[in-house]
Amino acid sequence: MNLTFFLLLSLLLFSAGLIAVMSRRNLVTVLVGIELMLNAASVNFMAFNFFVAPDPVVGQIIVLLIIGLAAAEVAVFLAILMVLYRARHEVDAEDIRELRG
Amino acid sequence: MLELLAIAAFALLAAGGALYAAFVRHTLHCIIGLGVTLFGVAGIFLYLGSPFVAAMQILIYIGGVSVAMVFALMLSVSLASRVEHSRWKVVGAILAAGFFFTSMAALITSTDFPLREEPLPPDAWAVTEIGHAFLTTYNVVFIGLSLTLLLAILAAVLVAGKEVEEL
Repeated sequence: MNLTFFLLLSLLLFSAGLIAVMSRRNLVTVLVGIELMLNAASVNFMAFNFFVAPDPVVGQIIVLLIIGLAAAEVAVFLAILMVLYRARHEVDAEDIRELRG
Repeated sequence: MLELLAIAAFALLAAGGALYAAFVRHTLHCIIGLGVTLFGVAGIFLYLGSPFVAAMQILIYIGGVSVAMVFALMLSVSLASRVEHSRWKVVGAILAAGFFFTSMAALITSTDFPLREEPLPPDAWAVTEIGHAFLTTYNVVFIGLSLTLLLAILAAVLVAGKEVEEL
């Protein structure tokens, strides 16, 4: 397995995430797409870390940073989603035009 | 040989789960596809030399993020069954993503990356190295990440606990 294999795999993950983000109206599936794109970035970093980087610690730290930020992002996203659902009984990306509390 | 087979299986899991999540109609199935992808990516991290990051991927992503998403889905029942799609949006998304995929794939396959020549010292991949880096050179990253997580969780609790009037 070489570097190109992992880069193409991460490209595939990113494209799948792009499709999910662009084509869905349900905000939960949009969030799934965002997570797929973040994971594609992680795979990319780890692949370059394994094959290219002079110090293999840096890539692992960046991936841990991505994982932590993704967890924070999901927590806030889902909280906003719950409030939206309680107020409007739907989470359709095209019907939500304001978030003013 | 066995290693090659394992990495192929994990890559197949990751790619298949991602494509399934991108195209399946049902929201819960979409999250399950995401979970399969996350597991495959964890296996790939294992192959790429970092058992620690793979463990964190499984603990935080599969154990935390996907479970939180399933809970959010359960608390808002009607979300799960909403399957409205506009056909043109799907076609447009596939066209855009396909264009992105082909152009980036051409770029990747035509680039010569300067691969590392000399092998690393055997302890370069140890978990203790990550710990040392986090507490010395990359301490700002560590503290910033901790504070961000704290603030995000506080914000999530505050926002989700807020009483809302009908919009």
